[in-house]
Amino acid sequence: MKSYIKEFLEVEKPKDYYGSLVAEIEEKNREQHFITTLNSNIASEDKGRLPFTVKANICVKGFETTAGSKMLKGYLPPFDATVVERMRSSGNFSFLGETNMDEFGFGTFGLNTEIPARNAFNSNYVAGGSSAGAAVATAMLKYHIAIAESTGGSISTPAALNGVVGFTPTYGTVSRYGLIDYANSLDKIGVIARSAADARIGFDAIKGRDAYDTTCSIEKIGNSGKKKLFIIKELMDKAEKPVSSSFEKLLDRLGERYEIEEIESGIIEKAIAPYYIIAMAEASTNLAKYNGYKYGMQYGETNKRYNNFFTEARGDFGSEAKRRIILGTFIRSESVRDRYYAKATQVRSMVIKEMQKILKEGFIISPALPIFTPKIEDAVKLTPTQNYAMDVFTVPPNFGGFPHITFPYDYYDGMPLGAQLVTEHANDYALFDFVSGWEESFDYRFKYNLGEL
Amino acid sequence: MKIGLEVHVALPTKSKLFCSCSMEESEYPNLNICPICMGFPGSKPMLNETAVKSALGIANALHCDVNRKISFVRKVYFYPDLPKCYQITQMDDSIGREGYLELENKKIRIRRVQIEEDPAQIVRQGMLTLLDFNRSGTPLVEIVTEPDINTEEELREFIANLRSILYYLGVDINREMKADLNISLAETRVEVKNVTGIKSLIEATRFEVERQSEAIKNNEKIERETRGYNEKSRVTESMREKETDEEYGYIYESDLGTFDISEMEYVEPVYITNVSDELARGSGVNPKTIKEITMLNRDALAMIYKFKEKYSMKSILHGIQRFEKYSNKSMKTEDAVKIERIIRLVDEGKDISREAAEKIIAGEEVNIQYSNVTKMEIEALIEKFVAENPGILEEYKRNKKTINLIIKEISYKNNMHPKDVSDAANAVLNRIS
Repeated sequence: MKSYIKEFLEVEKPKDYYGSLVAEIEEKNREQHFITTLNSNIASEDKGRLPFTVKANICVKGFETTAGSKMLKGYLPPFDATVVERMRSSGNFSFLGETNMDEFGFGTFGLNTEIPARNAFNSNYVAGGSSAGAAVATAMLKYHIAIAESTGGSISTPAALNGVVGFTPTYGTVSRYGLIDYANSLDKIGVIARSAADARIGFDAIKGRDAYDTTCSIEKIGNSGKKKLFIIKELMDKAEKPVSSSFEKLLDRLGERYEIEEIESGIIEKAIAPYYIIAMAEASTNLAKYNGYKYGMQYGETNKRYNNFFTEARGDFGSEAKRRIILGTFIRSESVRDRYYAKATQVRSMVIKEMQKILKEGFIISPALPIFTPKIEDAVKLTPTQNYAMDVFTVPPNFGGFPHITFPYDYYDGMPLGAQLVTEHANDYALFDFVSGWEESFDYRFKYNLGEL
Repeated sequence: MKIGLEVHVALPTKSKLFCSCSMEESEYPNLNICPICMGFPGSKPMLNETAVKSALGIANALHCDVNRKISFVRKVYFYPDLPKCYQITQMDDSIGREGYLELENKKIRIRRVQIEEDPAQIVRQGMLTLLDFNRSGTPLVEIVTEPDINTEEELREFIANLRSILYYLGVDINREMKADLNISLAETRVEVKNVTGIKSLIEATRFEVERQSEAIKNNEKIERETRGYNEKSRVTESMREKETDEEYGYIYESDLGTFDISEMEYVEPVYITNVSDELARGSGVNPKTIKEITMLNRDALAMIYKFKEKYSMKSILHGIQRFEKYSNKSMKTEDAVKIERIIRLVDEGKDISREAAEKIIAGEEVNIQYSNVTKMEIEALIEKFVAENPGILEEYKRNKKTINLIIKEISYKNNMHPKDVSDAANAVLNRIS
């Protein structure tokens, strides 16, 4: 099993390894924009540890943490997120920096922020979002691990588009304390790495109960292997060429080791709408606190009425954030709450039930995205609903809090294609074993290997 | 008249509702604060179990249907004192619902008992608006009644009984009680918000009753509105900024999830009216006297239980009342020895003069021995006193209370029991006047 982490920790590093790594990153960042905050002090802190980054919505004490938003420009959190504390105290990792993202996680392609990150394979293409910088950083740095976060596909999508492993754990296995909220019932902190073995090392470092996050209550994580792979017909119908044809080839290869079965499910396909309803409703409450006088951007004129002051300060949200605040607030309003929010909650239970039934018998496998990686110039033309439709494969496991992993399985036109594997709650380890098995007969390609030894 | 209340009470905890910040009074602003009670990005609430237990005790005491599972909601509104711009509170899965509080002649229905967090405090200094987050995250219960209160007396009784229940559950009743008041004389319901203290609550009610009666009398329309109570001018005033139809966009608080409280232990309530009735039974004392003494004094109640086999109820109450009157404070357990001295004397049939009581309160042992005299001898003394003070008979004819002067004079000077002197004096005066 390939582990860059172990390889790195075992060898002697050149004297100014970290100093030159920082310089290399600074240079490449001018083009790729994957890092938003760089810890240039890492050289002085390090005792031969592996550099780790966190998505810019994970608080690091004293380092600018903006969640990709202008609203939080200049914000220096007064505390470390639990995952940051755990990475540091594991003794194996040093904080390198924070990675670029869609504002508050609102995006599929990483474009909803001031200066978007660009795909590691070709900077004309989207990086994928919302953990855009985390995936790009992983594809560019040879020895590094990224702590990222997914609400509805924010780990799977960018990991797939940058040809790396993206792991989203079972909801409730990793503490969210210190994660700047998008949607509390959906947000999960996970790992992006260059191999399944490394993703597992990262997961083991951050998982486990935390008194500071009530929802982080799952301690026991299993590893029950499955012999079956399920394909959901209604979802596969949405996949376009060349994704669909490449994926067929993947299934042929996996067919040697697994029994593959196509099944129909009317309800899983319907997950996108209720997912966005709940995500937006929760997001609109989480974004209420940004009213311009406590942290982040400081607004000069304070001799105004509260409402005027708040309204002006909140004008600095990006357009997607504004859209979600408005829609989310509407969804929560008394006259329509039953029609949308309550119904979405019901559908959510139905999706979870249905998926639990399927996942008992085997894994669900699919492409990570229904389309081939779009160019930035094309992606910006997509309407919001076209954008949301891109999450067709990633939303169901995220909606139900099921652990899932993406891994590269092919290259097309020099760009990687990623597949996504889903398993039961708290069976996360089975995913690493599956991908490690796949890695035995698959060669990852990388354009950059910054920090090579 | 229909009155409904929403009463807010701070729960007795050492730390705040969702973080471990101290609840102790702080000399300086913004001292007991952390990222959680300041609502910093990334912070999450963690529920204080002591607060839940305490609220559960209150819900149970108010005969609520105590839910097996509780959850929280976010109530979203924009105000500078609200750190997250939403308040974590409860709705349908609140800790208690559909209970009641008993008054002498009726029950006031309780709609809901819910746990919620207090916002920060706004401090205005001249042109400045300052925020003190020490208060932010204080655990509160809100007790919501149905509009079942129909008179000012019922309002007073409700508040008194509620305070007593809360007191016996460990709530600090010296903290000002805050309430919102719904009051309607006709069809229209008027809400008076943020009334602090019982005195203001009564005054606000009186003002609203008068204002609304006046309007009805003059055939004016009563607006359905939210008013505030101005403590200085003692009037309710229409609030300038109306909340837009109370659209709070409630949503499930998934950071806290759902808690099963079916196994949770809580403190059993003390209903002082029932306890007083029980204690008074067959003792010849008015249960109201017991209630008055013990309503907000658990030490007094404990003492009554302690002494009730040893002394008569009448003596115990009399003893406590004497002690409280002359020491000018509520009795505490540490006063037990002194109070028992008084009770014992009373129980022996002795009369406690101010001097005697003060001596006992100062810690001295007092022995009251009456002179061994016959009724005839006392009457003779009184006759002599009346003869020496010729005006007194005329005085007595005008005012019967003049007899007290004679009793005092004779009994204290001659070390006689006031009761004996009183009997004798009555006999003498009736005879000669």
